[in-house]
Amino acid sequence: MSAETTGTPVEPGGPGPRALARRRRRASAARFWKEYRRHRAGVFGLAALVLFVLVALTAPLTVGSDVDSVTDAPGQPLESPSGRFPLGTDQFGRNLLGLLVWGSRVSLLVGLLAAALSVLIGALIGITAGHFRGWYATVMMRITDWFLVMPTLVLAIVLATVLSRSLGTVVLAIGVTTWPTTARLVRAQTLAVESRPYIERAKALGGGHWHIMSRHVLPNVMPLVLAQTTLIISSAILAEATLAFLGLGDPTVVSWGGLLQDAREAGSVSSGDWWYLVPPGIGIAVVALAFTLCGRAVEAVLNPRLGVSR
Amino acid sequence: MSTHHQHRRGRTAPRPWRARLLAALGACALLLASGTVAPSASAEDGDGDGSGGDKVLTVAVAQSVDSLSPFLAVRLVSTSIHRLTYEYLTNYDAEDNHVIPGLATEWKSSPDKLTWTYTIRSDSRWSDGERATAEDAAWTFNTMMTDPGAATANGSFVGNFAKVTAPSPTQLVIRLKKPQATMTALDVPIVPKHVWEKVDDFSEFNNDKDFPVVGNGPFVLTDYKPDSYVRLKANKDFWRGAPKFDELVFRYYKDQDAAVAALRKGEVSFVAGSPSLTPAQADSLKGEENMRVNDAPGRRFYALATNPGARAKDGTKFGNGDPSLLDRRVRNALFKAVDRRAIVDKVFQGHAVEGAGYIPPRFSSYFFEPSAGQELAYDPQQAAELLDEAGYRTGADGKRLGKDGKPLDYRVLCHATDPNDKAVGKYLQEWWGELGISVTLDCLDNVTDPWLAGEYDLAFDGWSVNPDPDFVLSIHTCDALPATPKDTGATDNFICDKEYDALYARQLAEYDAGKRAGIVKQLESRLYDTGYMNVMAYPNAVEAYRTDQIESITTMPSAAGNIYGQDGYWSWWSAVPADSGDSSGGSSSTGTVIGIAAGVVVLAGLVVLFAVRRRATADDRE
Repeated sequence: MSAETTGTPVEPGGPGPRALARRRRRASAARFWKEYRRHRAGVFGLAALVLFVLVALTAPLTVGSDVDSVTDAPGQPLESPSGRFPLGTDQFGRNLLGLLVWGSRVSLLVGLLAAALSVLIGALIGITAGHFRGWYATVMMRITDWFLVMPTLVLAIVLATVLSRSLGTVVLAIGVTTWPTTARLVRAQTLAVESRPYIERAKALGGGHWHIMSRHVLPNVMPLVLAQTTLIISSAILAEATLAFLGLGDPTVVSWGGLLQDAREAGSVSSGDWWYLVPPGIGIAVVALAFTLCGRAVEAVLNPRLGVSR
Repeated sequence: MSTHHQHRRGRTAPRPWRARLLAALGACALLLASGTVAPSASAEDGDGDGSGGDKVLTVAVAQSVDSLSPFLAVRLVSTSIHRLTYEYLTNYDAEDNHVIPGLATEWKSSPDKLTWTYTIRSDSRWSDGERATAEDAAWTFNTMMTDPGAATANGSFVGNFAKVTAPSPTQLVIRLKKPQATMTALDVPIVPKHVWEKVDDFSEFNNDKDFPVVGNGPFVLTDYKPDSYVRLKANKDFWRGAPKFDELVFRYYKDQDAAVAALRKGEVSFVAGSPSLTPAQADSLKGEENMRVNDAPGRRFYALATNPGARAKDGTKFGNGDPSLLDRRVRNALFKAVDRRAIVDKVFQGHAVEGAGYIPPRFSSYFFEPSAGQELAYDPQQAAELLDEAGYRTGADGKRLGKDGKPLDYRVLCHATDPNDKAVGKYLQEWWGELGISVTLDCLDNVTDPWLAGEYDLAFDGWSVNPDPDFVLSIHTCDALPATPKDTGATDNFICDKEYDALYARQLAEYDAGKRAGIVKQLESRLYDTGYMNVMAYPNAVEAYRTDQIESITTMPSAAGNIYGQDGYWSWWSAVPADSGDSSGGSSSTGTVIGIAAGVVVLAGLVVLFAVRRRATADDRE
């Protein structure tokens, strides 16, 4: 970077354009953070997220990858919480606290990947539909509408049933069913951005489709996309848990929804083994809540019209 | 989820998320409250039907009815209902499963073993008043022999029949093509000719339009709602004596946990053990008052079947089973690495018996145990040696390589609806992982398609065994293979073994019970050695009932046996209502009151909370 800066012919004394841009970005990030900090709920959500991500990332060190091994499970089946097993054991005698920690990896991973896929599709369709207008936009928006009115869960269940059972399938099933909202939002913003005079100027100076979309529209819709991503992650985590609970996930992978499904199949609902059911449920709820809180705060910071409420 | 997004999209003014969360909570509470009220109300409908103090026995079953036509029904719940509504030629004693008279009072075979003469009882009447005669039986068998649609469910029983006649109302004569040892175990419901001869297409007729359905069993089918319930009324004129309960209802619960909850509340008197209650459910019910858990040796085996290379009778090979499994040493090695003890202890938590031969120990005369030298005992060390010997050695990364140089990876077909499959699958992954073989669990809701196409390597398999084992033995003969790859054969998993077939034919022609049992054991021994069907366990039938509603009920066999899904009508026919009468009505109405009260309290709490929050956030709102 710095080599490039020195290589560009600039007026001596003043900083180069790239350095300027960097400085500007740093300043706006600082401003963003200052704004964000004012949202107590957002800070709380962020703290919870950092905690969960840390727990998930350090799981191989803290609980180890053999926590889901059934052949050398340490305890007796369905032991209630004790000093040795703070959250009791499951029907194989595995440590539920360990499984809960290990399961957070899959739940977070699937949530993030599915949200990324969903937002990627949504942003792509939204920007192109907003930019090209005409018959292309009409077709794209009708497809979007079609997906929008489809009951998401039903569609996801169908996809997860038809395809083979794996994490990829779940990511795909959630990703391709939740993108329409993003597409609509992004298209609206794209239309707003493209009506600004400088876009016309850029066109007059010979800016092509790609240039306009990637250099002018994308940076302007990015904040919206970011906020949308954070919000979609929480529903993706919920969707993953739902699919796993309905038995459509990969049965060999430990996830929170999968733990709930295992608990149900072991009959712990009717036999009152709460320690098997409650912790994964709380885990799902807290992570989904944390992402929602963050998303709301980001949205409020980036959209001045929403700034009043916090 | 989609509503959530639409809310967001259509929003113009911001709304605090807390308010929405509260609203959602309120909706959840309402749902919960209505959930607790609704089932008890419907149970009262069910109980209050007779109003004149009718004794109703409600059974929770986890299976929906496939068809009420005896010619089509194959599911356990449907065949159990047919046991109750139609008489069979013979029945099995509840004490020890030996054959006793049913519709036929006596039977004898001719010296050439080919003609069987049955004496039909004269005191059995159809529920519309007509007498049940040999003519009905002859018509039933003849229909199955001539109409392929009528042979769907029980066609295998008449495959060897040459001619069936009824010389007199009390005499039925069956002429066979070859000797058949199962002639006293013809599990075919005899239907009334005068009702059924009006049916045009047996493959379409489900016998569920005209109620009450004419029958001559201890109960008469009076009502049926698909995926909901089947209602039966006691047949007061039943020749063996009237049942003690006035009405029997099979109520369908998709979720076993819901059925257990209904049992706790007294909405059902009995929860069927098919599938068995989980160990957690059984343990929690055991300690409760007025509750009895019946944990009986089951009639099922639970096995690991290997794909022996799917093929049709015309010799066409199809499917894509792993070629390494064609080597007997590999099959045996795989099974040697399966710790049956651990499966019984950990997965079934003691509610099962360790697997040995093909037929469960409950049928003691046919039960086979491998000798010490023959037994494929758990020994991972030997399993690894056996695989080495067969030429499947471990590569550099510890994975065992197939003959094509690729690492072995077996697809194991498992039923997504059966928790035991998934649990045992996890163990297999680890046990076989130690051998260097990876396992992909293919858990499907419907395993039929890959199964029939032979597109699997191993599969979880299980059958209920009848007192006469002929059927479960017949599904492994070459004769049961599909005619062409497009057809569906009676075969279980494409086993075709000449030695097995010879033994099968011998046992079928042997009329001496003792000698036949000996041949059946040899047959099981052969099956054990081939390693195609590896029985891991015989799961118990774990079922539960309320002793304040059912005073006594017969198990089959009586010493330690199951109640639901018997080979006979003994349990429901013999069930005695408890004296306390219908206490369920009282308890469920208390339940309703408590449910409503709880709902009101929760709602009131939420309203207060909501109001407080609204006031607190009033400044924030616009």
